[in-house]
Amino acid sequence: MASLYWERHPDGPFATLIAVATTYLHPENYDLDSLIELAKREDDEEMRVFKSELREALRDPSQLPGDELWESVEYSDGSDEAFLRQLWHDLYGDEPLDAT
Amino acid sequence: MGACDGLERGEFDVRAPDEPGELAVADGPADRAQPPEETRSTGQAYAELRQRVEGGWEPRKFEAPREELGRFDPERAALPPTSLDGAADYVEEHRAARPWLTMADGASPEARRILAAMDAGGGHSHIRHEGWVTEEASMRRAAYLEDPAQLNSGKRNLGIDGVKPDDKPHRCASTSTRITDPDAFATAFARAVEHPKVREALDKPFDPSAKPNEVIVPIADLLGPDGHRYCTGWRLEPVDGSMKTAQAKRDTWLADRAAGREPDVPEPQVRPVPTFEGGAISFFFERNDAEKRYQIATMFPRPV
Repeated sequence: MASLYWERHPDGPFATLIAVATTYLHPENYDLDSLIELAKREDDEEMRVFKSELREALRDPSQLPGDELWESVEYSDGSDEAFLRQLWHDLYGDEPLDAT
Repeated sequence: MGACDGLERGEFDVRAPDEPGELAVADGPADRAQPPEETRSTGQAYAELRQRVEGGWEPRKFEAPREELGRFDPERAALPPTSLDGAADYVEEHRAARPWLTMADGASPEARRILAAMDAGGGHSHIRHEGWVTEEASMRRAAYLEDPAQLNSGKRNLGIDGVKPDDKPHRCASTSTRITDPDAFATAFARAVEHPKVREALDKPFDPSAKPNEVIVPIADLLGPDGHRYCTGWRLEPVDGSMKTAQAKRDTWLADRAAGREPDVPEPQVRPVPTFEGGAISFFFERNDAEKRYQIATMFPRPV
């Protein structure tokens, strides 16, 4: 049976990034506005991890586990990198990737 | 003039998505090459035939566990209280404006009560993933992002979402699926609401900015060992061996067409999902701000 990446690998690499992106950006329940609001929370531990994993994935998309990101989110950007770049822009605007 | 300009003026300057390609056969005159008693459109007959031949689907009636469905408490799913009589009245009152409620005509009274509560509660799973959605509509959703919930045919042809406000583009994953029987659909929903994984999501402490993650439950857990036989779907054909590429090209093709350009990528192609055996049902959640609780936003079958 199909299973969800973050259930199979709750402590796996990029599990929070993939889970949050799927919850808000899967085509069947797309809700970017809510994710933008959520991303503004600086005191939210899950969103801190999410941002950190997004930054890490953008620095080196080859570190993402196989096709798990696309298989979960089913984005139509064509590549993990294109999707992640757009996501960073949507959520954090012009904030530099290298900021800590 | 762009497609949206034409839309505002009640005109459409884009080609209908059904002009070119293999799916054109689905859109010929409805009275062509049909036996006299045929009541379906050519497109619907075409899609159903492909679903039977390539997807192995046979329409069948689900035996509703009526006593079990009768015990369903809408409040457990953050839905409005609904009685059997109230559901019948609701369907009659709203069927013109919400034509997907016609699905309830073929349902048991107990399933109708659940479907009416779902409709009144604002979720959209029953609008896009239930038997009201024909095979043709499901096929066109996967190929052309036509939203079955969009009742304006011009907007539907332009891929405009029928549920979201402000004419937002409709989105669809690589696969569009449905549960073909209203009693099966209502049963899956009612049982899911009491399933521990779904229950955990629904019972999470309310956060006005967040929502629970997707949950999946085996089809067999909700509909029994033959439950997969009540599911159908259409899936994009890979492009250059990649489904990821196929989804991107679908967007490009649709954008070109909407802008009046000749698409320089192949027209999207779809085929029936061969089987749902071993598959699951996905549940996504949304906030119910009035109740300060979570509810099921949508549910749909997903093949392995």
